Amino acid sequence: MTDVTDTGAAAPQRYFISEADLRALAADLLGAGTDVIAPVSVDACQSPSALATAACLRPGVAPVDVEYKAIGDAAELDLGRDLPVLSLKQFFLPDHEALCRWHQRGLEVTVEEVPTTFAPRVVLAAKPCDSAALAVVDAVMNWDYKDELWNGRREASTIFNLACPVIDESCFCTAVGSAPDDVKGADGLLTPVEGGYVVETTTEKGRALVAAHPARFEAAGDPAMVGRIRQTQAERAGARSRVAANLEIDAESVRDWIATHFEDPLLASLAIRCNGCGACSSVCPTCHCFDIVDEEEGVGRGTRRRCWDTCQAPTFTLHASGHNPRDDQHVRYRQRINHKFSIYPLKFGEVLCTGCGRCTRVCHAGQDLVEILGAIDIAARRPGEAAAAAGAAAPGDVEAAS
Amino acid sequence: MNELRELARKLLTDGEVRVIIGWESARRGARPMFVTEPDGADGLIFDARCVHNLVTYLNPRRDHVAELGKIGLVIKGCDAKAVAGLLREAQLTRDDVVLIGVRCGGVLEENELPEAVALTRENVAPRCYGCDNREPTLVDHLLGEPQPEPPQPAVTIEERVAALDAQPLQERWAFWTGQFSKCVRCYACRQVCPLCVCERCVAERTQPQWIESSPHARGNLSWNITRALHLAGRCVDCGECERFCPVGIPLTLVNRKLQQIVAERYDYKVGEDPEIHAPIGDYRLDDEQEFIK
Amino acid sequence: MNIYQPQLALVTDVIDETPDTRTLRLEFQDEAVRESFAFKAGQFGEYSVFGAGESTFCIASPPTREGYIECSFKAVGKVTTALREVNVGDTVGFRGPYGNSFPVDDWKGKDVVFVAGGIGLAPVRCVIWNVLDRRDEFGDVTIVYGARSVDDLVYKRELEEWGSRSDVKMVTTVDPGGETKDWTGEVGYVTPVVEATAPKAQNAVAVLCGPPIVVKLTLPVLEKLGFADDAIFTTLENRMKCGLGKCGRCNIGPVYVCKDGPVFTAAQMEALPAEF
Repeated sequence: MTDVTDTGAAAPQRYFISEADLRALAADLLGAGTDVIAPVSVDACQSPSALATAACLRPGVAPVDVEYKAIGDAAELDLGRDLPVLSLKQFFLPDHEALCRWHQRGLEVTVEEVPTTFAPRVVLAAKPCDSAALAVVDAVMNWDYKDELWNGRREASTIFNLACPVIDESCFCTAVGSAPDDVKGADGLLTPVEGGYVVETTTEKGRALVAAHPARFEAAGDPAMVGRIRQTQAERAGARSRVAANLEIDAESVRDWIATHFEDPLLASLAIRCNGCGACSSVCPTCHCFDIVDEEEGVGRGTRRRCWDTCQAPTFTLHASGHNPRDDQHVRYRQRINHKFSIYPLKFGEVLCTGCGRCTRVCHAGQDLVEILGAIDIAARRPGEAAAAAGAAAPGDVEAAS
Repeated sequence: MNELRELARKLLTDGEVRVIIGWESARRGARPMFVTEPDGADGLIFDARCVHNLVTYLNPRRDHVAELGKIGLVIKGCDAKAVAGLLREAQLTRDDVVLIGVRCGGVLEENELPEAVALTRENVAPRCYGCDNREPTLVDHLLGEPQPEPPQPAVTIEERVAALDAQPLQERWAFWTGQFSKCVRCYACRQVCPLCVCERCVAERTQPQWIESSPHARGNLSWNITRALHLAGRCVDCGECERFCPVGIPLTLVNRKLQQIVAERYDYKVGEDPEIHAPIGDYRLDDEQEFIK
Repeated sequence: MNIYQPQLALVTDVIDETPDTRTLRLEFQDEAVRESFAFKAGQFGEYSVFGAGESTFCIASPPTREGYIECSFKAVGKVTTALREVNVGDTVGFRGPYGNSFPVDDWKGKDVVFVAGGIGLAPVRCVIWNVLDRRDEFGDVTIVYGARSVDDLVYKRELEEWGSRSDVKMVTTVDPGGETKDWTGEVGYVTPVVEATAPKAQNAVAVLCGPPIVVKLTLPVLEKLGFADDAIFTTLENRMKCGLGKCGRCNIGPVYVCKDGPVFTAAQMEALPAEF
């Protein structure tokens, strides 16, 4: 293997890594005591008992899910480019997390801090939509007050994306400013080529990871690289045009239309079949709303935690007086669309969505964000067409109330 | 299907109902459809992809659905049992809804397909096996051709429950605590359940707080077991809870197990007759239980 | 220490304002915090009882009084019920000050009209004292305050004190039927009493706070009296949690109440979607 020389240039550094070397890199990191988070094929039942596992299997459903997990062995690394069920969010904003702990004895109360620095860890083969989501949420987590827990985990992580082939027709990353080969929020990108991956590092952290493991990476000087890079360009361009075909919207027009059409019946009609189940929020890489609760762990001691919450829950805006400003599902759903596609972009300049499509896939009531954004885009860009489309009663449209 | 469309059109035109809630075919398969104009009835379908239990839309907390006006609801046999449950518990008045029953031969486990396919051992929803009301009776109209029995799935739910029961206690405990540790407390299971209609769910009560909100192992066990117990003797096996769970917890196994216990102990199975009272959650002056005397 | 970790505060006084409203006076345990703590009128904090949780209240004492802070609340939920149980000598948690504030400096030289209903007097009391502690910077000061009954009036001692000042016009009212035999104040809902008091709108600002119905009905009266909608200030009560603009709960339309508020002008409030 040729030596890696990091010139420190601002342009992405390119290398080649074989699949074997990628697994060896994971093994190196694990051997050095560094956590490695990566997609892993997980038995959907996760039971120690094989018989119970068989009993749990849902016929007709693939018995495995892909999940992001802290791997124990390099062999667990799943490079199949499937979409993990939950996003990377849980490693940066865990579904429950201690904010502080208290001890009370008599009148004396002490509060114990929780750590805000974390052991360095590496995320391998992340989905670009999941990494981009982290960069989007960085904005609110640093709005005046800096969330040390989120930032600490961000600082501790080096993330290498694996370019995505596009999962299916529910993906729409390019419509909201991301892409199947996005590097936003990440430190590097792996793109599959024959025999392995072209690696592009885009930040100091990414360069440092490569520099620390020179044996695993082949530098760009290799003549075979020219051909490989051409391969990656074709792969990445192909994926981008495939996903763009799923949905094209003018995100800024959508943003402004929502801001000025809050009471428009279209917005209220979008959620007619929504059950308010909140599954969409839990799988979403950018949803970050949380609750803060005190939980007693014993006599005179306990933990103040934050845990995932969702604007889709009926109690999200419930006042102690009993007044609930958002007391029905259609106004709660409107808030979801409003916050993600209008409020957050107006406030922070980023759409609070990276088009991963999980919300659409997990919604078994048929709420389809590709359809919803398409409908708002039509209303925003071509109001005349919107009226005609409503009259033609296309499938999926809610009929106008009589 | 034409029968359904014509009936829907007629009911809307005559003003007998203001909205028909049924199914339509959309980009990702069948999904609930709300038809308020007679012409819209042409979009209604019924096939093996129509898995959803639409009775959840009768939930009294859904004001924006109630505002549409009197509902004509398309239901399968299992769904009819949910209607009976609501009637039994005085959450619904029979005259407030028109029930359009469809004869059903089973539904697909994976229903998000562009077109219906024939049911096989491999693709049928396991919960359909052993269905005892493929022709719902709690209906105002009954449509469709008589359907054959659904195929026996590769593994039935009974077999799965039995396999778990055969495990030693420690293994079963490890299995369920492992499953519930996946729970993120989105409450999808509750929101889609046609019988979870409490205005203020026990999980949302804070004075006192019965169930911790955080999705740690302790809180999740607390929530999932409480919900299962609250459904004992009420669950109609529609399977929506498991289908909607974003992290794939096999909730139908818990509910089926509790059904078995209720059947064994109280000789009771949830049925379509709202006049037959459930053994749990029902109060009668002439209660047979000796212990209360 | 992360931004979610509270300071510890000792309860040094407990006042039962009404049968269901209580005021706590708190002093920070940490001396450095006690000495450096500063805030502006209108800001709020997250007060907590360890084990019960956090609750959002404005800081009800004025920023011109150092060494302590106060909050007033009604026991309606889990945390406020626990706060109702604390006594002098107990320790509670506090995070803050958060949010924006009343632009008191902008009101110099102007008349200031305060209108409040019920427990809505709590955030207004802070800015009333802020103004009175700098009395000669402002013009006429009028306070119109009403509650359902005599018992429900909060800060009764201060109402008397304000009423006895010659440089304050104090109008106190109770709803019809809420008066006692020896009641000498007005009888009537806040809205018509404001109309009858008819404070001058020219070169004046108004601060309005109370239950939603009082705010809803009084705004048009103030506007009729000539107050421009950017000269009327209110503070929004909203379900808040983190106070830091992160948890998303208080987001209404383009604002996060905990960061862009809780003080808003009537103009800003009218631009918000009706979700509060």
